[in-house]
Order: sequence, then structure tokens, then C-alpha cells
Amino acid sequence: MTSSAASVIAALQNALAAEQAASYGYGIVGAHLSGARQAEATTDWIAHMRARDALTAMISARGAQPVPASVAYQLPAPVSSAAQAEALAATLEDGVARAYLGLVALTEVALRAFGALQVRAAALRAENWQGFTVAFPGLPPQNLRG
Amino acid sequence: MTEPSRRALLAASASAAALPMVLSACKGVQALGTPPAPASDIRLLRAAIAAEELMVARYAAAMLQVARAGPAPTASANSAVSVSLQAVHAQHLQHLAQLRSRLAAPSTARPLPSPAPPVLPTGAPAELAALEQAEQSSSDRLIGELAGLPPSLAQLFASIAASEATHVPYLRAVGQAG
Repeated sequence: MTSSAASVIAALQNALAAEQAASYGYGIVGAHLSGARQAEATTDWIAHMRARDALTAMISARGAQPVPASVAYQLPAPVSSAAQAEALAATLEDGVARAYLGLVALTEVALRAFGALQVRAAALRAENWQGFTVAFPGLPPQNLRG
Repeated sequence: MTEPSRRALLAASASAAALPMVLSACKGVQALGTPPAPASDIRLLRAAIAAEELMVARYAAAMLQVARAGPAPTASANSAVSVSLQAVHAQHLQHLAQLRSRLAAPSTARPLPSPAPPVLPTGAPAELAALEQAEQSSSDRLIGELAGLPPSLAQLFASIAASEATHVPYLRAVGQAG
């Protein structure tokens, strides 16, 4: 069974939306950090903008219209300190990991591998921000058994 | 690794591909002509379960070794390593439980011999480095096995691969702090 073209586009649009949100959010993250942590935020920010551009191109190449980013995003929690900024970064990465797991569910081998590598990259960035690891990055609890 | 049971099938995906094999199994092998090869996703799932069992054993051995270890630079450094090893060990147990839940015939039905306790390098830094390497190669292997898996199993493999990759910087930070 092969994923339908529509489900491929929907998963790519979902990943794009998560990357757009992350690109917006990291601007706020970086503004509340300094020194080495700010440099790390900048590195991650650039990674998200590159991924956003790559996804935009992938959607266009499949003949669909990439959904543009929102003008502004509602933050999950107010950010006024470095600790809150780091927590926001971790939350953004979680959303990104979840969206890329949608690509892993597709049957197209290249998209599946791309999605898995992006889930891993997001999990690694999240670990850097929160200082701990989780057993199932990006996987909603309802997808777990038992 | 034992041969996958013919009865074993993926609980996750009673997929159209898996179903005929199960139904025809009732008629006996003759009706099939040549017996079907075990589905590759079942082989990969069983291999992933065996790999997680080994990983759990490695962490258990490492935790024992740290507990028995000679004087650490400081007592708190030793306990920080110990707490971190326990945290990662617990996550591997979660991986193992989820992987096992994807088999309709659980691999625990026929008890496997517990893996031989792996020989670990002595000394916490070398031990941590060996674990980091095991995590990285396990993560890479899982990502290399995604093609052809049922979607929900592919997602589980990818998520576990991501988790294992994060153990590398996590353990490294612990080693440096120690």
C-alpha cells in the first residue's frame, strides 16, 4: 500500500507548519539568552529556517501550494527569562518531532528516512535545552500500548 | 535470536499482507506450497527486541559496576552517574515494553536465555564511552531499517532511534561533570 499524494502533501504541510512555528519561536528564545546559549539558539534557529525552506521546496516540487506562515504565533507560556526561553525551545522541538513523525508514517522510503532524521535532530536539540532525555520523542502517549 | 514463530504476527498492523499468511496457516503448510518466509517486519521487530534486551543488560551491568566502583573523584559525582544510568536504563525498559507489545505472540511466551552480561571496560569514563557508542549504532541501525515497515512500527522505531541518539550527549555531559 502506498501513501496517497494527498496524505504526502498533508504530512509535508504539517511539518512545514511546525518549522514555521519553530522559526518564529526561536526568535523569541534567542532574545532572552546570552553568550553560549544564545549562540546555540542561533544555530538551531538557522537549522529550522533551512528545514522550513526545504519543506517549502518539496511541497512546490509536488505541485502543491505551501501554506504560508502565520504573522504571529500564540506562545504556550509567557517568556521573560532565560529558563522560560529554554523551556520554549524544548516545546518547539517537541512539536517539530511530532510533525516529522507524520512523514515517517508515509510509505515513500526517502520521505520516511528524512522524517526519521529530522525527528532525531529535534530530539537532540530538545535534550540540549532541557538537559534530560525522553523514551519516545514526538510520539503521542495514545500511540503507546499498555 | 530464535526463529520467529509462524504464529507471530504484528499486533500493530493486521495488514492485508499479513492476513493471508495467518489464514492459510490453518490449512497447513501443504496448502501453501512453499512455506512463507517470516515477514521481514517480524524479523526486524524481533531483532529490535533482542537489541533492546542487550541494551538493558548493558545498563544493568554498568549500574552494578558504578555501585561497586572504587572511590570516585567525589561521592556526588559517582551518584550523579548512577542516577543518569538508572534514568537511561528505565527508558530502555520502556522501549522494550513497547516493542514487545507489537508482537501478538509475545517474545516472552518462550523465555529467551538472558543475554550474557556484557564485558564492559572498567572505569566509568570508558564504560560511558562504550554505552554512547552502543546507543549511536543502535539509533543508526533502527533508522536504516524503516523501509517497508508498517507505518506505526516505523514511527516507533524512529522515535526509539531518536531517544537513543539523545542518550549520547546526555551520558557525555554526565561523564564530564563526573
